[in-house]
Amino acid sequence: MSAPAISASHLARSFGTTHALVDVSLDVEAGTVCALLGRNGAGKTTTVRILTTLLRANAGHARVAGFDVTEQAPQVRTRIGVTGQTATMDELLTGAENLETIGRFCHLGAANSRRRAAALLEQFDLTAAARQLVKNYSGGMRRRLDLAASLIHDPEVLFLDEPTTGLDPVSRAEMWTSIRTLVAGGTTVLLTTQYLDEADRLADTIVVVDRGLVVAEGTPEQLKASIGRAFIRVTLPEADPATLEKVRRLLGEEAEVSGRSVSAPAPHGLTTLEEVVGQLREQGVTVHEVGLEHPSLDEVFSTVTDHSGHPNVPATSTAGKA
Amino acid sequence: MSEMTVHTQGQLRNGLLDAYTATRRFLIRGTRQLDVVLGSVLIPVIFVVLFGYVFGSSIRIPGGNYRSYLMPGLFAMSILFSSNNVAVAVATDMSEGVVDRFRTLPIARSAIVIGRSLSSFVLGIPVLAVMILCGLAVGWRPEDGLGNAILALLLFELFGFAIGWLGVLVGLVAGGAQAADVIISIPTFLLGFISSVFVDPALMPAWLRVIAYWNPVSAVVTAGRQLFGNTIGPAPAGVWSLDHPIATTLGLALIIIVVVAPICVRLYSHSER
Ligand SMILES: Nc1ncnc2c1ncn2[C@@H]1O[C@H](COP(=O)(O)OP(=O)(O)OP(=O)(O)O)[C@@H](O)[C@H]1O
Ligand SMILES: [Mg+2]
Repeated sequence: MSAPAISASHLARSFGTTHALVDVSLDVEAGTVCALLGRNGAGKTTTVRILTTLLRANAGHARVAGFDVTEQAPQVRTRIGVTGQTATMDELLTGAENLETIGRFCHLGAANSRRRAAALLEQFDLTAAARQLVKNYSGGMRRRLDLAASLIHDPEVLFLDEPTTGLDPVSRAEMWTSIRTLVAGGTTVLLTTQYLDEADRLADTIVVVDRGLVVAEGTPEQLKASIGRAFIRVTLPEADPATLEKVRRLLGEEAEVSGRSVSAPAPHGLTTLEEVVGQLREQGVTVHEVGLEHPSLDEVFSTVTDHSGHPNVPATSTAGKA
Repeated sequence: MSEMTVHTQGQLRNGLLDAYTATRRFLIRGTRQLDVVLGSVLIPVIFVVLFGYVFGSSIRIPGGNYRSYLMPGLFAMSILFSSNNVAVAVATDMSEGVVDRFRTLPIARSAIVIGRSLSSFVLGIPVLAVMILCGLAVGWRPEDGLGNAILALLLFELFGFAIGWLGVLVGLVAGGAQAADVIISIPTFLLGFISSVFVDPALMPAWLRVIAYWNPVSAVVTAGRQLFGNTIGPAPAGVWSLDHPIATTLGLALIIIVVVAPICVRLYSHSER
């Protein structure tokens, strides 16, 4: 096996008293996509900034494309492309001028830079806007230009910090297609995202970070399987303690009450559901709803990042839990 | 050994290319900010009118003509004030995402700041040209031959290059465009006015007079007046910098460049790491 394209071990970074990263390790095989998933402030951008030589880690070390990010930053820089969370294009230059400048900084030469710039503008559907100043670009156009800029020197490893945040559904789908095309061409991609479906669709491996720690990692399937049993949920018309207790005993030892519903693992799926419905009827319990629930990546996410009494991190809408 | 040489040669070549690319980028930016360019021309032009005619009519310089005395002062003043634009531009750059993009590219560490300083130098040339035209229009003339006039302009440009580096320095440490503006405006304003740019310091109160005589801007202006063969005004006794204004200007500019440029490169490559 070849060495991983990205390999980070025990990265830590603090800003004053804020511990942005406590202990983050990850490996990304060459030619694969890894999604870094986490809530706001989890430490995704900090991780990306360390791996892209923008920020020094306080502890731990990392290698990208075979080179150490602190000791061999220049070598790393010639091999990576970076699209940060915030726009990095010069507003007073046209799209073409921006790309050409970056090509020259990558030492492609004037003519070659112009050629690459034109090709990328074409690829990202920006040819019509090539001669417009970036300050007149829409958000989606800026995002695409930023991505184009990070591809100008055909990087081995591409870092994308929230590449689809702020894009409309069509642009998002186009961005996914672009990323898939790149990966098919052999590029390694590390992307961060707050969208679980994005991670699920794009990534070969997912690393879930929370408050500066890796709390789960694996393929989307592995993550789902890790808490992967189906659940049965019985919801009552109202939260009557006596009835809730009756249902809880009926559902077995692992049953949990929350609000007016009781849930428990359903190891045999539909069979369990049928049994439970039968028993409920026998005991004369009136129910509002009974159903079987399969874990989604959303639930994996909220399970691994759920801190009861966590004060300051609001759940994202996709990760919201009843 | 020879491999090592090839390596450093390649590095030097890339470094020069990077500095060129950066300069080019800032020059393109400069041409898109015509309001800034216009502003840096307009203020000195207003000074020409204000001091040449409004206040100037009541200012007497012993042994000469006031406008001949004033114009070299205004050349220096316009150069001094141009540092403001550099500082604001650098501070703006540093607070925008563009810097992050540059830092992830394989660019020589010094390229961006060198590009910034070179481009501000180039953009300063038309401003000085406009000032010269203004001077000619109000009757100012170089009175000591073309050769010395060219030397005077070169000296002013060197001074401008050095001042540009101070602007870069302020832009790097200010932490914001507005802060940079304030930090650089106050000293340039004080240095510009408490000097021999507008009036003969001999007329100032004693304590102010000492500052005005030793103010390096006075030396720069005096060097210009000398080379242009313009009115210099009565020379004070025992002020070395005014007795040797050209040497002082040269020395000062070189010291600023040699000290400040490396500091800027270091500050730029170590910021936010
Ligand atoms: N330069 C900095 N100075 C101080 N604190 C910082 C700095 N950069 C990040 N932090 C803090 O570190 C923590 C992690 O930030 P980071 O930007 O890595 O989060 P993130 O996962 O990218 O969040 P988001 O989804 O909002 O982009 C946050 O608490 C943030 O406030
Ligand atoms: Mg972030």
